[in-house]
Amino acid sequence: MSTRMRAFAGQLIAVLFALALGSVVILLVDESPIRVFTTLLRGAFGDINRVAGTLLQTTPILISGIAACIALRGGMFNVGVEGQLFLGGFAAALVGFAFALPPGLHVLVALVAAILAGAAWIAIPAWFRVRFNTNEVVSTILSNYVAVLLTSYFTIFLFKRPGGWSETPPILSSAYLPELFSFSRLNWGLVIGLILAFAAAWYFRNTPGGYAVSMTGSAPKFAEYGGVDVKKRGFWVLIVSGAVGGLAGGVETLGVHHRFMEGFAPGFGFDGLIAALLANGSPIATIATALFFGALRSGSLLLETDTNASREIITVIQALIILSVSAQVLLRRRGDAQAGERRWKF
Amino acid sequence: MDSASTPAAAVPPYAIELVGITKRFGTFTANDGIDLRVRRGSIHAIIGENGAGKTTLMNVLFGLLQPDEGEIRVDGKPVVMADPSVAIAQGLGMVHQHFKLVPSLSVAENVFLGMEIRTRGLIDHKKQEDRTRELSRRFGLAVDPTERVGLLSVGIEQRIEILKVLVRGARTVILDEPTAVLTPQESRELFATLRGFANDGMTVIFISHHLEEVIEVSDTVTVLRRGKAVATRPTSELSKSEMVRLMVDREVSFARPARPATQGATVLSVRDLWARDDRRHPALRDVSFDVRAGEIVGIAGVAGNGQTELAEVIAGLRPASHGAATLGARDILALSPASIRNAGLAHVPGDRMVRGVDGNASIASNLVMGRQFRAPWRKGWLLDWKAADVEATRMIERFDIRARGPADTVKRLSGGNIQKVVLAREFTNDAPFLLIDQPTRGVDIGAQEAIHDEIMRQREKGIAILLISVQLDELMKLADRILVMFNGRLMGSVDGEEADEDQIGLMMAGVAQSQVEAAA
Repeated sequence: MSTRMRAFAGQLIAVLFALALGSVVILLVDESPIRVFTTLLRGAFGDINRVAGTLLQTTPILISGIAACIALRGGMFNVGVEGQLFLGGFAAALVGFAFALPPGLHVLVALVAAILAGAAWIAIPAWFRVRFNTNEVVSTILSNYVAVLLTSYFTIFLFKRPGGWSETPPILSSAYLPELFSFSRLNWGLVIGLILAFAAAWYFRNTPGGYAVSMTGSAPKFAEYGGVDVKKRGFWVLIVSGAVGGLAGGVETLGVHHRFMEGFAPGFGFDGLIAALLANGSPIATIATALFFGALRSGSLLLETDTNASREIITVIQALIILSVSAQVLLRRRGDAQAGERRWKF
Repeated sequence: MDSASTPAAAVPPYAIELVGITKRFGTFTANDGIDLRVRRGSIHAIIGENGAGKTTLMNVLFGLLQPDEGEIRVDGKPVVMADPSVAIAQGLGMVHQHFKLVPSLSVAENVFLGMEIRTRGLIDHKKQEDRTRELSRRFGLAVDPTERVGLLSVGIEQRIEILKVLVRGARTVILDEPTAVLTPQESRELFATLRGFANDGMTVIFISHHLEEVIEVSDTVTVLRRGKAVATRPTSELSKSEMVRLMVDREVSFARPARPATQGATVLSVRDLWARDDRRHPALRDVSFDVRAGEIVGIAGVAGNGQTELAEVIAGLRPASHGAATLGARDILALSPASIRNAGLAHVPGDRMVRGVDGNASIASNLVMGRQFRAPWRKGWLLDWKAADVEATRMIERFDIRARGPADTVKRLSGGNIQKVVLAREFTNDAPFLLIDQPTRGVDIGAQEAIHDEIMRQREKGIAILLISVQLDELMKLADRILVMFNGRLMGSVDGEEADEDQIGLMMAGVAQSQVEAAA
């Protein structure tokens, strides 16, 4: 497993490099990087409440990250997790406030609605990809804007709760995802995310279908030659990825907000994608990277009160991580390509 | 070093001299003490079979490869071609087989890519276009400098590649199989241009498979065979059949194994098959043949004459435009690759690293491909990796794959061992039909023997085998019948026992079987 170790070392170096660059930026705003980073750590893990807060932020990133992992393993990018998350969140809210069902069942039906909404939303780019060979990166990115604005429209014009805020009526308590502890809003969503991560890893490793998907991702021509229906597999991989994206939104609605509102979950879908990329498409590693981004988010709350640095510094660091991780991945790919050429050049 | 004051008569007659060039790749000697002298102002053709070392020699000359022994002289002075920039500085230019152009840029922008003409720091498009126009007029390379390259035909793309070389000040132009991608008309125009270069005092070296062209355009011919230069003669002194005789290795290095006649019913039947290549040009033209059980049918031909496309169509990886193909009783042209495999195909692909394996995966994982839904690899809903490892260990033993174990990453193995991984998977599928494309390309002699034995064993089991190879000696050793392909057509069919290299060679060069036999 030396290639895996090499990939891990590469990602680690990329993150450290990004943190070093981030430190330069912090120095530029006349703050001490050490103070900023220790404040971040304290904000994320300082006491049991803060740890719970970090895990609460981690949950939607983790589930979104698994959605992105599924597509990555099939050799595709689902950049539309954000949109699927919004639609899933809205669908869950709709089921949550519009129907009265027994506890348990209500949660289940709302989550299924979220899953179906996410799957339906990615079905359009997925179909375009199979039918017209459209690049799914572009079509899924674009579908995000439509999803965010569409759910805003639903919220403001069709299902607005009486009163000032742009939000739907609250869901019935029978649709709440149960909380894990009395002192925090941390809920079963985290457990769902963890189960999902292990289930996805297990599927790719231990089932014939998962093998076919992995091979489609890592060596598409080989998979095609071996009899894998690459197009059909690709379509269903995207559908499942979108479904998990929708689930991320449903969990966020039923576990945290208990309603859908404008600006419902800003950036969780994108953070999930970055977490998945940083994890090299491994669902298990995504648990760690999602926790990292969750900690950055929750730690940043303390940043503004305790230091002179703005919370936006987190966005800067995240952006730097994206840049250095992509650079690192590209460099590694190019190295492979050169080695391959060397082998076959006569 | 004051070349301006040197009288022309004192300049040595050879523009390029390669002396005793030897280049080895591991245990394989691609160039073995080659001497090549190219007279200034001449067109010098280099011919030889695939793998004879032509491209390697040109890569050495152009600084893309470093020779293990030997010396390169340009205008009589020794030069170390450390990399292509040295070669370019010495007035050499190379037009590669595969063009390296940017489709979204204009012709002039492509020609000057990396050496843009600048005025006050900005690219001077007008000057670049004027200069491109001037050169294209001077050498008869008609192009519109302002057009986007992406909209142009292959023939014009090649002119742009030649212009790139000229703009960089080349006095010696090397072309690697320049006509492979051209129509006959475009080829003729190219030859006129090359003639123009020679008349202008420039030197042209070109690699070709097409003997008519060599006769038509070149002044001198050097024949390479198995890494050695076996002859250099004025073109006018050689006939086409003499060239073929020099090119084709006369000493058959493999003895033809004894074979019981075991032929049975027809397994694969191909009728009137047409297909297009990636550039949408016809690659297969009206191809018909049968392969029977227990028979090895060989397809001979110079690489790029439709063999790859034939294999891809049969395997369901490329659509046919016309015709029919049946495997067993099933029409396979409309089927998916998986269905064709179910109908009885096992396939050893020509492009091993792209189609044949996932280089980053383990041997065990590579051996699962195509069988993930079958026992013993599948158990209930799951893949049984323990069984896969056991299978892989067995295969490693049975096919003598030199690896550390089933978990070893495939791309770490040598070419021969990677090929054995592919064979191990495909030969153990109990398929009644085996499609084998280039079984021993890039494989060392020892592994070649093992692979040949394995193919013969499959034949004895009564399996129908279609064997595509650019190595004639391989086909002459293994095949019961050899079909010769040229430009997408079958030129003729020869019995393996009575196969004559010269005759096959002529058909490979595009001469019809009736003419070949009339001449014999």
